[in-house]
Amino acid sequence: MNLTAIASIYRFEMTRFFRTLLQSFLSPVLSTSLYFVVFGAAIGSRIDQVEGVSYGAFIVPGLVMLSVMTQALSNASFGIYFPKFIGTIYELLTAPVSFLEIVIGYVGAAATKALFIGTVILITSTFFVDLTIAHPFAMVLFLLLTCLSFALFGFIIGIWAKNFEQLQLVPLLIVTPLVFLGGSFYSISMLPPFWQTVTHFNPVLYLISGFRWSFFGVADVPIGISLAAIALFTALCLGVIWWIFKTGWRLRG
Amino acid sequence: MTGILSIRDLRKTYDDGFEALKGVSLDLEKGEILALLGPNGAGKTTLISAVCGLINPTGGSVSVGGHDIDTDFRAARSMIGLVPQEVALEPFETVWNTVRFSRGLFGKPRNDALIQKILTQLSLWDKKDNQVKELSGGMKRRVLIAKALAHEPRVLFLDEPTAGVDVALRKGMWDVVAEMKADGVTIILTTHYIEEAEAIADRIGVIAKGELLLVEEKATLMTRMGRKQLEVQLDQPLKAIPEALSDYELELAEDGRTLIYSYDTRAERTGITALLNDIAGAGLKLRDVQTRQSSLEDIFVSLVEGEDA
Ligand SMILES: Nc1ncnc2c1ncn2[C@@H]1O[C@H](COP(=O)(O)OP(=O)(O)O)[C@@H](O)[C@H]1O
Ligand SMILES: [Mg+2]
Repeated sequence: MNLTAIASIYRFEMTRFFRTLLQSFLSPVLSTSLYFVVFGAAIGSRIDQVEGVSYGAFIVPGLVMLSVMTQALSNASFGIYFPKFIGTIYELLTAPVSFLEIVIGYVGAAATKALFIGTVILITSTFFVDLTIAHPFAMVLFLLLTCLSFALFGFIIGIWAKNFEQLQLVPLLIVTPLVFLGGSFYSISMLPPFWQTVTHFNPVLYLISGFRWSFFGVADVPIGISLAAIALFTALCLGVIWWIFKTGWRLRG
Repeated sequence: MTGILSIRDLRKTYDDGFEALKGVSLDLEKGEILALLGPNGAGKTTLISAVCGLINPTGGSVSVGGHDIDTDFRAARSMIGLVPQEVALEPFETVWNTVRFSRGLFGKPRNDALIQKILTQLSLWDKKDNQVKELSGGMKRRVLIAKALAHEPRVLFLDEPTAGVDVALRKGMWDVVAEMKADGVTIILTTHYIEEAEAIADRIGVIAKGELLLVEEKATLMTRMGRKQLEVQLDQPLKAIPEALSDYELELAEDGRTLIYSYDTRAERTGITALLNDIAGAGLKLRDVQTRQSSLEDIFVSLVEGEDA
């Protein structure tokens, strides 16, 4: 294992993040506050409680997940796409590093950034609502696994993308709708039966449900299924990455 | 033998079916400089890319310092430095961080003194805290060189390093190359500037259409193929070469004022004395006389054209 190389990639990626630290910090704080103002105040005044939890608190896990997923995805996809785009990928390909080490460096950095932003949002939300975490260990586990799996997924997209449109296509057309329709801001029990059934095909539902369970002990789907779902998603991403490694797909001509 | 780089029957066919390398074999000794000459599209970059791990070769094998680039890629690649043909750098990063990153990526422990030395050598030290995007084109190219040197490679590939770099800076680059050679680093460079190859290389390789046409000591190449020409300028123009001079291999320039005599520098007798006597005997008056040695460029052009024929 070329640990020095992994550390170098990780550090190089993180400096990009620190260069824009204020922006990285302020934008989640601002958007979270806006969500609380809009959703919490406007909708919360009509919906009093969801499954025994105040609406303001109920949306916190969804808010955190929404940001963590999109941030992990976009950071990881951009992180590996950018060197391809500007040509600096040559150095990674000629260095004595394995594909696994490259993945650890880039995915690790992207997951760290997402984790940072998730934490900032969580802390910001405590200024607006009373938050108790019923299962802190499960909460951290879900958060870490989501950061990791979506960073892996983003890495795959970054390798796959041949231009900026493709890079933004998947997050925009697939991930964001899935997150919004996956019960981020409502319990699916509030939906008509038909849409409840449809929602069960949305993988994001299982992540948000499990994450929310770790806060309030209530869930749309059993916690075991949530854990299985995120494990499966992570395994799937790892499998695809292993295949890319084997074939050199879109990296080596 | 202190062979450091061994390329055996290296082949590359691109996905579109284009055969860019048709079985190239090459051996390099420690500390030598090889200049790879070839027209655009000859396969120079493809050859370098295959050795450095940027593309997967279709066939053949390469070893660096005895390490196969495939089965022992870590050991092989850690010995290789590459300065790519196209400038590619992270624009918002500082020069210092960019170069330091390269060293770390190759698994080498931090060594700020070495990086300072490299940056100073390449006249980049005062730019170390600048973002890459603030640098001029020539500086960016030197940052690429600094990155390639940061992990102390034993074999250095320079793919057209002086394209678009002005003469003064080019000179500075060759000083660095000479210093590396003195340290025993093996250098393979491609260039369009034949004078450059002529000036700094130990051996010259000529590549065209994916085939290595020859690799030879520069001096051998020059004498083997080097023909000299004697140009005799006449006082009065001629319509044809006089009968009295028909025994010589002569050409008459278009203006009729210059006789060009080609001869082999290695020949026992060059025939110059006799020719000049006979010119005088034919009643021609000389205005000036000069000789010209065919340059590498002439040799190169004749080789590549010969390939075309
Ligand atoms: N990725 C590629 N796909 C198909 N053909 C390529 C690719 N890269 C280079 N070639 C072709 O291979 C030949 C050799 O290219 P290259 O090695 O870049 O030449 P040189 O560096 O000597 O100018 C050229 O004809 C070029 O068009
Ligand atoms: Mg080239």
